[in-house]
Amino acid sequence: MNICSFKLIFEQLFINFMANLVHMARNKKDRLIQMAPHFCGFKPQGVQCKPGYEVSINFEEYEALNLCDYELLKQVDAAKLMKISRPTFTRIYESVRRKIAKAFIEGSSIYFEDGNSTISDWLKCNNCQISFTISDNSDKSCPICKSRALIENN
Amino acid sequence: MIIAFAASENHLKANIDPHFGRCDWYCLYDTETKKNLFIENPVRYNQEQAGCDAATFLIEKGIKMVIAGRFGSKVVDVFKTNNVQMIIPQTQQTISKMINSFHLT
Repeated sequence: MNICSFKLIFEQLFINFMANLVHMARNKKDRLIQMAPHFCGFKPQGVQCKPGYEVSINFEEYEALNLCDYELLKQVDAAKLMKISRPTFTRIYESVRRKIAKAFIEGSSIYFEDGNSTISDWLKCNNCQISFTISDNSDKSCPICKSRALIENN
Repeated sequence: MIIAFAASENHLKANIDPHFGRCDWYCLYDTETKKNLFIENPVRYNQEQAGCDAATFLIEKGIKMVIAGRFGSKVVDVFKTNNVQMIIPQTQQTISKMINSFHLT
């Protein structure tokens, strides 16, 4: 009887543990961006910016807006450039449009921050935990451990 | 090959500085003679273009590789046209640890 109840308790614990694992959010895939913005953000004119009311825009959202509305690409092509699926691109684009509208209407400042993004032309070595550029096209290997097991972005 | 490190203090136990253009010191390390030299950043209090000026200053010293926490977009262009390799460590590391990792292989 005792063993049976223990078994039941352990089974319940195991099921809870697995459920927690399943419901844990999956890591976001890195979005590929061509270039980060070279300035920090925007401020509204004529009003004092209240701290705590700023709107933050990720680099990937900035890139989505750039590709879609500045370079006038179709969403399918833009999603291919950022190496994400078309629905994901649409979600990012929707979010940046809402954020900009919120900042415009409420008169709050906008600042850019880093999100889940990597810049193209940079390579990563997971062994040495570094990211680096290649100076010329001759050799694609890690400068420290000389391994060729690299994560390429493009 | 000469490697430049962006350093926050002028000794080898110092951390690699997160900013390339406005760090206090640069450590130049020669992998063949195994000698290091600390030079003060001459352009760190510039109002603008600190990164580009620092990059041209280091390129005149003949560096082939540069290590810092972050590079601005203009600095990346300058280094790419001059064929200098840039490295960003993803975790906080000291200069001596990075130098040792170059000699392990």
